[in-house]
Amino acid sequence: MRSLLVLGKLMTEGADEHQILMLATTAARSLARCTTVTIELAGETPSVGLLDHLTHVGTSGGSVGLPDTGWAWAFPLSSQSGHLGHLVVGAGCEPTNEEQFLLRALAQQTGGALANRRLHAQEQATAATLSVLNERLRGTVGALQHSMDIHTRLTAVAVSGEGQEGIALAVHELTGLQVAIEDRYGNLQAWAGPHRPEPYPKDSAACRDRLIARAKREARPLREGARVLAVAQPRGDTLGVIVLVDPDRRAGDQELMALEHGATILAMELARVQSLTESKLRLRRDVVDELLNGTDEESGLARAMALGYDLQRPHRVVVVEGPENTGDNDALFQAVRRAARDEPAGSLLVARGAEVVLLADTESDWEHLRRAVVRDLGDRRARMGIGERCEKVVDFPRSYRQAKLALRLPDRWERDAAAIRFDDLGVYRLLIGIEDLGEIDRFVEHWLGKLLEYDARRGSELVRTLAHHLERGGNYELTAKSLIVHRSTLKYRLQRIRQIADLDLSDPDIWFNLHLATRAWSTLGVLRAPR
Amino acid sequence: MTTSMSMGLPGVSLAPGDHICAFYRGSAERDEILVPYLREGLRAGDKCICVTDDPLASDSVRALAIESATDPDLAFGHLQHLYSESSYLLDGFFGIERMIGFWESAVGGAVDREGFGFVRAVGEMTWALSGLPGAEDLLTYESRLNDFLPRYPQVVLCLYDLARFTDGEILVDILRTHPAVLISGQLMDNPWYIEPDVYLNRHPEPTVASPTAVLDAAWAPR
Repeated sequence: MRSLLVLGKLMTEGADEHQILMLATTAARSLARCTTVTIELAGETPSVGLLDHLTHVGTSGGSVGLPDTGWAWAFPLSSQSGHLGHLVVGAGCEPTNEEQFLLRALAQQTGGALANRRLHAQEQATAATLSVLNERLRGTVGALQHSMDIHTRLTAVAVSGEGQEGIALAVHELTGLQVAIEDRYGNLQAWAGPHRPEPYPKDSAACRDRLIARAKREARPLREGARVLAVAQPRGDTLGVIVLVDPDRRAGDQELMALEHGATILAMELARVQSLTESKLRLRRDVVDELLNGTDEESGLARAMALGYDLQRPHRVVVVEGPENTGDNDALFQAVRRAARDEPAGSLLVARGAEVVLLADTESDWEHLRRAVVRDLGDRRARMGIGERCEKVVDFPRSYRQAKLALRLPDRWERDAAAIRFDDLGVYRLLIGIEDLGEIDRFVEHWLGKLLEYDARRGSELVRTLAHHLERGGNYELTAKSLIVHRSTLKYRLQRIRQIADLDLSDPDIWFNLHLATRAWSTLGVLRAPR
Repeated sequence: MTTSMSMGLPGVSLAPGDHICAFYRGSAERDEILVPYLREGLRAGDKCICVTDDPLASDSVRALAIESATDPDLAFGHLQHLYSESSYLLDGFFGIERMIGFWESAVGGAVDREGFGFVRAVGEMTWALSGLPGAEDLLTYESRLNDFLPRYPQVVLCLYDLARFTDGEILVDILRTHPAVLISGQLMDNPWYIEPDVYLNRHPEPTVASPTAVLDAAWAPR
């Protein structure tokens, strides 16, 4: 029995299944005088000739017939987990009762050890499976944790209002790579990490457009040489690009995830800035519109205050008209904005149709300002009219109207060449000030009636010709040039004027009254023109 | 003479002359037997002769040697560490006579010349699976060793890794050649043990005709 105890311990504690079977068969020969010992495991094909016998004796075991063997017995390998097979022992004659007892005990011990070993193997397999699953789970949790870290870090940046610099720094800290944020055109807006390039390299506009188009098509981070970039495109508009500088191709899934999150936060930031700018512009436009259209003192001051603008300073309304029929009002707006900023002449301006209106808060050199606008537009024409000073909110509509009149009243040839202050319009100011236009009408009719009737009937331009002639002090050369006609044509027209009007232009009184009448005629034309 | 001594494992005592086969599975279980066995020997002032085969076992024994150099508790004994290549498998083969001669010299020297009162020997037996000439004589050697044990105050521990020794017949023969067996932390008298003369009668020693036997014969005690 001690032999079985040692053997059982060896089987149970350390041996694998093969060792258990070998120990059992070897030990069986030592425990009894056997000639044949085999172990037939359940579920495996038995040795030749044993199938029927083992089926017959079942799980309780029993006598089996073996060729050339006087006695043979199948001892069941039983265990708590069920029947595991048989220890089949053959001998020339029947072993003693004690030997059979030992063989039965050995079979029981072998069954127990086998069951134990199988259970252990199953537990090991389960543990291995669990270990693999745990490892996967750990990987997934790690990736999720990293994703949350990225999200948390970048969300904190978005909330704290650290702007593009903060976003670049956060992505740099999350990836360990240099990070650049560029605007739509490739200009550097923010940099994080060492070795900031000076100057910052910039692609041609065509290359940039192609790159942006590719990045938008990919809809995920795009590698371009040593750079990996993602576009920030709120509402589909590309407003910026965030770039990882990665010459060693170290960027893996986590780094690309950080870049994509960074692009999303950048899109939010750029959309916020854009929206803020638009709101500010809209608010400025509203304030200027209200001032120009007329508002009460209290309301105007309150709205300007909300905008952070001091309206309680003298202002002049300046109206600028750009080249006709270009349709590029934004270029004119930007040109006036930059010129007014550099002069400086004021910061409150709006685009109104084809004109840009500036509320100037200084007494600038207006012609200098106009020339700055012209230069910004690429030496294209720009006209400028300046209204009288506004001391109060209620003065703005008047100053605005004056600025517009200043643009229209002088001869076109003159107004193209200089900024016109309403203050400098001379007799025009008097004419505009007359409330009863009928009086002016009668004065014009008295002096120019015949010529106007002739022009109306014949479609001629005698009044205009006379006006040009008088404005240029009777200089034939300058008059012909301003009307773009030949000198002889001019002489012919003046001859017709003398005949029809029956007037002597050499008389200073007549000259003065005709000059005043032609200016009054121009003033009426402007005052009655649709706005 | 000492009649009983601690093995280093809880509740396990050794007796002089023990020839123990210790079964374990894997290097961790091996070190749980090997290191306490040697540490206890050093603490008791024994001569400890250790032969390792696995480099990991060598690391554990080297660590113990370093510890013994600084720990006054372990300074009473002496640890001699050898490798299987320089003992069991010297010159690329295993010879029974040469190996018994080795133990005679090492254990006899420790007792007679160095004055140690007791010797703890331990061998990691995985070298026997190397396939080198003579390794097949392992069990004859183990049986012969039982005649050598009583000559000196000593214990011999043979380490067998069940993950490596997978042949059940060999396992039973290992049991038959060791009077004591250590398994699962329990040291037991081995009922499967067969005295050397009986065992060797059933398993005759190799003839002198084999090349290794010729080389080994030169080591036979005069």
